[in-house]
Amino acid sequence: MRIATWLVALALAGCSRPGAERAPVAGPAALHAPPIVPVSASAILERAARPGARATLVNVWATWCGPCREEFPGLLKVARSRAGDGLRLMLVSADFDDQEPAVRDFLAARAVTDTAFLKTGDDMTFINTLSPKWSGALPATFIYDGGGRLVAFWEGMADEARFQRAVDQALAAHPPEGESQP
Amino acid sequence: MNAMRPLVFSLGLVAATLGPASAAPTADPLPAAEPDQQFTIGQPAPMMDTRMKGVSGTDLSIAEVAGSKGTLVIFTCNHCPWVKLWQTRIAAIGNAAMKRGVGVIAINSNDPAAYAEDGMDEMKARAKKLGFKFPYVVDATSDVARAFGATHTPEAYLLDPQGNLLYHGGVDDNARDEKAVKQPWLRDAVDAIVSGKPIPLAETKALGCSIKFREKGSS
Repeated sequence: MRIATWLVALALAGCSRPGAERAPVAGPAALHAPPIVPVSASAILERAARPGARATLVNVWATWCGPCREEFPGLLKVARSRAGDGLRLMLVSADFDDQEPAVRDFLAARAVTDTAFLKTGDDMTFINTLSPKWSGALPATFIYDGGGRLVAFWEGMADEARFQRAVDQALAAHPPEGESQP
Repeated sequence: MNAMRPLVFSLGLVAATLGPASAAPTADPLPAAEPDQQFTIGQPAPMMDTRMKGVSGTDLSIAEVAGSKGTLVIFTCNHCPWVKLWQTRIAAIGNAAMKRGVGVIAINSNDPAAYAEDGMDEMKARAKKLGFKFPYVVDATSDVARAFGATHTPEAYLLDPQGNLLYHGGVDDNARDEKAVKQPWLRDAVDAIVSGKPIPLAETKALGCSIKFREKGSS
């Protein structure tokens, strides 16, 4: 039954996507897909300010966005390597809501199991709430310190080294409790 | 084509502001979203006299397509899913604007090495299919996009008859469903410029595909 549901979801995703540059990787991995939660820009900011992390990396992407897909491996590598140091990752898809199966499948194929997010609300509010400096181009990356303050932002594709530098700087600025800044 | 009004503008930018300066490294295979600067509302547009090859085979500059009421410059491309959602509206708005004295030019600044679909052959086919009455040209160095501060497609700039920026932003507030559009930003801006009224909302934003810039210094 689950497989049948998955097949129907994939078929619907293929029909509904408006013109994907390249079809996301599909496969049974979708059965182990992460939960996808709708999120507004203000909810992103609220989550970034929640206690429990020394820094939060928010990446806004879409399944059909070539540069988004291209930077994903480096992004995930850095996020996974720094999760134990207190980095919180929020992957926010800007796909349309009926493309959720494609989002889930894309993430599952990359072994993402933590909760991921689907953008809600109108574009302009979403963009300007996250940063007035953001033009709306995808991908876009925002890094918040442990207090939820935006400490780094860029739009366009980044490589692993760039993610690494920005994350390390954010973590260094918010040392674990009991440690003092150099 | 609308009135051929030779406009003279400084190639330098006035009080240019930094765009998203921390953009992707230039070594990336798909460098994106890294404008040098951008001009703001009220400032003169850059690179008005730069000629770009059009789908008709003719080289054209923004100044050469300028209309008596103003000029609409749209950075667009072929491959972007968001462009595909808006492209019939872009064609309709552009064609209607030309009839009302607004010059129109669509500019593709993407490097076709990133997406072959953004090459000239596909541009010709797309312009024909959509019925563009306005030129669709190649920004062969991506420098026009850099000078404008354009970062994504589709992204529109509406200039007054003197070439000063009156509107910058998206087409409307609903890419997915034209019937559900609540704010037809670009149509409203064109209506305003034609009727000599203030632009209702001079700056808007919508999500879009990052421009796939060529390396600086490319030709």
